Amino acid sequence: MPHRLELTGITKRFPGVLANDNVSFAVRPGEIHALLGENGAGKSTLVKMIYGIMQPDAGEIRWNGQPISVANPKAARKLGIGMVFQHFSLFEALTVLENIALGMDSKIPSRELEARIRQVMSTYGLLLDPHRTVATLSVGERQRIEIVRALLLDPKLLIMDEPTSVLTPQEVEQLFEVLRKLAAQGCSILYISHKLHEIKALCDTATILRGGKLVDTCDPRQETSRSMAEKMIGAGLKDIVRAAGRSLGEPKLVVSRLSTVKTGHFEVPVDDVSFTVRVGEIFGIAGVAGNGQNALLDALSGEIRSDDKNAVAIDGYPLGLLDTTGRRKHGLCAVPEERNGHAAVSDFTLSDNSILTARDRLGMVMLGLINSGAAKTYTGKVIADFAVKALGPASTAGSLSGGNLQKYIMGREILQKPSVLVVSQPTWGVDAGAAAAIHQSLVDLAAAGSAIVVISQDLDELRALCDTLAVINMGRLSAARPVSEVSVEEIGLLMGGVHGTAEAHDAVPA
Amino acid sequence: MQFRLEKRQEPSQLMVYATPVAAVLLTMIVGAIIFSLIGYDGIGAVREIFLTPLTNSYKWQDLGIKAAPLIIIGVGLSIAYRANVWNIGAEGQYVMGGLAGTWVALATYGMTGPWILPLMILAGVVGGALYAAIPAFFKVRLNVNEILTSLMLTYASVQLIYYLIRAPWKDPMGMGFPQTRLFSEAARLPTVIPGTIVHLGVPIAILVAFVAWFIMSRSVFGYQMKVVGAAPHAARYGGFSESKTIWLAMLVSGGLAGLAGILEVAGPFQRMVPGFPTNYGFTAIIVAFLGRLNPLGVIFAGVVMAITFVGGEVAQTTIGLPNAATGIFQAMVLFFLLAGDILVRYRLRRVSSIPASGAA
Repeated sequence: MPHRLELTGITKRFPGVLANDNVSFAVRPGEIHALLGENGAGKSTLVKMIYGIMQPDAGEIRWNGQPISVANPKAARKLGIGMVFQHFSLFEALTVLENIALGMDSKIPSRELEARIRQVMSTYGLLLDPHRTVATLSVGERQRIEIVRALLLDPKLLIMDEPTSVLTPQEVEQLFEVLRKLAAQGCSILYISHKLHEIKALCDTATILRGGKLVDTCDPRQETSRSMAEKMIGAGLKDIVRAAGRSLGEPKLVVSRLSTVKTGHFEVPVDDVSFTVRVGEIFGIAGVAGNGQNALLDALSGEIRSDDKNAVAIDGYPLGLLDTTGRRKHGLCAVPEERNGHAAVSDFTLSDNSILTARDRLGMVMLGLINSGAAKTYTGKVIADFAVKALGPASTAGSLSGGNLQKYIMGREILQKPSVLVVSQPTWGVDAGAAAAIHQSLVDLAAAGSAIVVISQDLDELRALCDTLAVINMGRLSAARPVSEVSVEEIGLLMGGVHGTAEAHDAVPA
Repeated sequence: MQFRLEKRQEPSQLMVYATPVAAVLLTMIVGAIIFSLIGYDGIGAVREIFLTPLTNSYKWQDLGIKAAPLIIIGVGLSIAYRANVWNIGAEGQYVMGGLAGTWVALATYGMTGPWILPLMILAGVVGGALYAAIPAFFKVRLNVNEILTSLMLTYASVQLIYYLIRAPWKDPMGMGFPQTRLFSEAARLPTVIPGTIVHLGVPIAILVAFVAWFIMSRSVFGYQMKVVGAAPHAARYGGFSESKTIWLAMLVSGGLAGLAGILEVAGPFQRMVPGFPTNYGFTAIIVAFLGRLNPLGVIFAGVVMAITFVGGEVAQTTIGLPNAATGIFQAMVLFFLLAGDILVRYRLRRVSSIPASGAA
């Protein structure tokens, strides 16, 4: 029996980078095959070529033994290749059924389509009401729409791009059930991820990429997470070093009854949030994306100002009425989730990006004029201390890879020695090596006496990093608990909240 | 066969500055072809419009005084456009600056003293800024599109001129002509080169451009304009208020348009006349873009546009080209510039729409 998909010597070159260098591997029918690698290792480029979004410069793609060229995604779907992207393309104001109908290559009467959708859902145990409006669905449910959309085409190969990054642990388990059922029926799955325990739990084979090259093809069940991670980054993994016997000090950041107003149509506001972070403490906030994390970060950083001066206070000093500049002067720095266009300006040089947040704390402004020398010196220090791969302070932020830009942004804030640092998704899209460095710098900052708030969707990260953990759901924050006392299951249930799981059970497939 | 625009990894810096030059060259070539096709001497037209003003030294002073208001307004617009504040109504602010200065000149008629001219200039700047404050107010308070409001206010300002010079400000000795009386000596802008018509506005324009360049590249104000324009979300994160930026951008661009207006009244016109609005405010939009929204670039762009104004007049008399030809050439410059900018940022790629083969 020929391989379902076989790649031989695939090479793809972009100006200045070799994204894929002579990559060869094969996927058997019914196999769940992991594609593993750090950010920038070339995973996305590779699957984009399989799905016809890009064309390889060299090499051959064989489908069921036949050499093919995939001209575009439509041709890929015709062959039986489906793909579920990390970012969904759904219209929030339309229903599930309408969204699926819009994505079909051929027009199918809505009644017939609904019957087919219900059939696919019951076959694979995907719970979803086709007449619900997308805006009312949780992220996990939205992902199910994308999966149903792909399954309607009866694919022989399903490509899943980082599917679990937005799911609760329970939702991840449900997804895995669906994928296992699919595989049992002979559909091959190409599963892109960098979460090693998931790959160990789900996949039959793992192909590891590093710097565009194939490093190893292995059986993940025979490997440890650590051994795969080390193959992925090509070096030994460093553990977080914590000072022994450290104790948490006095309350530093006190947030009391903080609320924001709903602005955007589908934006979740913060609803009556209170918590305290002590000197030396790393306070984690878990939650599924879209539960008010952005509003919380903005309300803490000062982008959204409060009406109540006591809503946010450092060392008892009220900051609620101040804007970001005012709060920074009092020692509160923040890093929002979105790097491009929010935490940094892509078209600006790194030096100019340092002026964005460090100008007052580090004296880069005199009489309204910018001291560009000071900005340049500081940026050079950030680049050196945080091992940012950049040509220098004059490189534009847009020319850096996502991970390097994140290292720069984290460095820019941490080297200002803030007494309170609030970060959202500190290692989102960052490779394992860089993530370890960022984690270590946060631990060091806390050890030096700062209070740190980490908002993240990555539970592993929060459990490794934090002293205390709370969960945000629909803008409300759960009670904070020491991280050693909460189990993953408990956190998962809190993350699901009333939204998500309970509602999903209401939707009965026909 | 389909074509698709694909974003370039990094736009070439060289091309960013070469585009304005290419746009002007393309305008000359295409302009020559178009005017030949409709029965004029196309090459002659291009020569008269683009080269005669440069080769004929007698025309240089004309270039200077045409370029000055374009540069002053263009500098203001380049600052506002950096912040993504689209002030399209510089023509109206120019008119209001001119009217405000005229009011001072008429109120001080017959008086002497070195304070009159500075007072007029101050009134001009304030007049232009106040007129630009109207769209700023509506934008910040009610989120009304500033492109529409600033543009429409231009037409209102022109009607105001007509009213004022026909009734309250009408020259009592003017034999019924709709115009104000000639300003007194103290209210007229002095010439800086004896024996020419080059007035004080020309060095002021150069000075304005250099000061603006310094402020935009070195100050927190310039940084604020650029960061709000490039990434409004990041600007908010950096502590820059968007409303404040809109106010500043509007007041600065309006104030500079007003400055150009009063310099124009006190210089070449020396009285308010119905022909005072000469589209400098609109042409300056092209100047701002042609100058890459850089105050120093605006100096060169202002001169290029001045050439087309002066050359257009030359071509009218020498080869009978209609006055509208100047506008066509100016519009072509903007068109080619914007099209060139697209190609600097994106590449055109041919996409085949043939479906995958070999699967069957």
